[in-house]
Amino acid sequence: MNKIMHPIEPEELMAYLDGELTANRTTATAAHLGECAECQRIVAGFRGVSQNLKTWEAKPSKPATPPAIAPALAEDRPASRNVFAQRRSWRKVFDRGWARFAWMGAVAAILLLTIGIPTLHRHATLHEFSRVALSPTPPSSLPVNGRNFQQLTKLSPGVAADSNGLFHGQGDHAEASLSVNGQPAADQQSKVLNGAMLAPMIIRTADLSLITKEFDKARANLEGILKRHRGYVGELKAGGSTGSGRTLNATLRVPSDQLDATLTEVKTLGRIESESQSGQDVTSQYVDLQARLSNARNTEQRLTDLLRNRTGKLSDVLEVEQELDRVRGEIEQMEAERKNMSNQISYATLNATIAEDYKAQLQVVPPSTSTRLSNAAVEGYRSMADGVVSLALFLLSNGPSLLLWGALLFLPARLVWKKVRRSFAA
Amino acid sequence: MLRVGNNVAPTTTTTMISDEALMLEFQGGSHPAFEQLFARYRGPLYGFFRRRLNGDQRAEDLTQETFVAVIRASARYEPRALVRTYLYSIAMNLLAAERRKQFRDSPPGELAPEPVTNDAPDAALWIRQALEKLDDSEREILMLREYEQLSYAEIAELMKLPVNTVRSRLFRSRMALKVYLEPTQKVSRAIAAGDETESVKLTRAEGEAI
Repeated sequence: MNKIMHPIEPEELMAYLDGELTANRTTATAAHLGECAECQRIVAGFRGVSQNLKTWEAKPSKPATPPAIAPALAEDRPASRNVFAQRRSWRKVFDRGWARFAWMGAVAAILLLTIGIPTLHRHATLHEFSRVALSPTPPSSLPVNGRNFQQLTKLSPGVAADSNGLFHGQGDHAEASLSVNGQPAADQQSKVLNGAMLAPMIIRTADLSLITKEFDKARANLEGILKRHRGYVGELKAGGSTGSGRTLNATLRVPSDQLDATLTEVKTLGRIESESQSGQDVTSQYVDLQARLSNARNTEQRLTDLLRNRTGKLSDVLEVEQELDRVRGEIEQMEAERKNMSNQISYATLNATIAEDYKAQLQVVPPSTSTRLSNAAVEGYRSMADGVVSLALFLLSNGPSLLLWGALLFLPARLVWKKVRRSFAA
Repeated sequence: MLRVGNNVAPTTTTTMISDEALMLEFQGGSHPAFEQLFARYRGPLYGFFRRRLNGDQRAEDLTQETFVAVIRASARYEPRALVRTYLYSIAMNLLAAERRKQFRDSPPGELAPEPVTNDAPDAALWIRQALEKLDDSEREILMLREYEQLSYAEIAELMKLPVNTVRSRLFRSRMALKVYLEPTQKVSRAIAAGDETESVKLTRAEGEAI
């Protein structure tokens, strides 16, 4: 049938008769059928087929009482079906295909959680410990930033920090070292606070990455530059392996007004790979902190006067003292925050990375066969010992859990195995 | 005592409760709800099996087995699909099992390609013969539509086919059946008119055409 002449396909005419067209198409088909004799003939053909098919009737000849259904209904006991479902044994639930897989999946997840989480936690702790332990400890006389201080105090109980958050060694050694470096940090801080309160307060940070052919010389020069500009090393890591160049990562703290000069000199140590500078304006935060600190001190003063001059009930006095303690705690917290901010403002941070421009050298004399055999034997022994120790550690750490879960899961696993074996046999 | 009868047609129910509501009631323990379902679907299900299998008794048995399966699985029933589709899906599974059983039990080489009822009424014999000429899938779709009165979507769900495929196969099967039935009708008419020569001529011509 031509679609241009007949907008309705024969298949749609069939669907129209079956009531399977959308409302719009039904209307359009009905309208078309009213005026198209050919389509009417097709529809009549479909109707004829249906009528012919209807002549084949199949009706049940027997009486309505079904012999098999009444016992099934009686056996089913619908009123107690729900109770029966609740009392269904675990074995029946377990026997279902989906339930079996869900059950096994849940067991696997519990096992993973039980064994995996403590292992992961232990690995994370060990990783953190090894990271801190392997990093070179900065000279005890030099202050470091707060983060590393917290890590290092865990390892070095003799090391302490002053109220400025600066790092000191034991005894007078720290003070002597600071005086060698030039101006003490407290002086720098007070200079900034007293002399330039109205100036914008910027925390400056610079990142510099260099490559040098003379690594040792560059490192020595870096220390000289720091001394000249009255800076100090916040954190320093140097390392490298055989067959590759060495790398120095240093976090340097230099007085803010010396940052530009320091950068200029550090850049001369090698070829610049990358450089970036940033500044964070904390003027409003600093002023706000000062105001809050001032208010807290006034409150502290009033409370002290109250405690000193007024007399009253013991409970009132205790209440005032508690409030005084709270205010003093806040003052100390704000004071520490202010000092930390002042330190960050007065001392800019320079993150310097110096990499060695390494040239691989031809190894002329290869190690002898006996040396290689000896090395292989040592390596073999070491790996065997490591394997035994690792296995022992694993068993010691996870053995109790595995035993517990093994005892719990033995019977269900046995049931599963029997079921699987039975199904395979069937 | 179960009181069901095939004289209770769905159309005679004055307050028509939906099949799904009846099924849920039965799930809650109501036997009368099941009796209503039984009354509604006993005839259609019997027809379903009767038109596809040899033997009146086997069709009756499988109809009962369908309802027994519904009773036993009623605790797991969830009203996600129509009860009608649910019943016919059980019936189709039972039918497939029955055909497999027949295939196993039949001696090799003696298996009939499709069930042919020798006990079918004469009036329906020519319909059966025409249907047998159709492709299996097309015949099944056509029968589900014409006899079970299932919608295209329900047939698609039962046969695991896209709705458009169902529609196109249904169209093809109807067109083919029309061709298969027309010569038979002409011959029948000719025989009824007593013109034997005409009937032989027609049969030859239609045979060549088909």
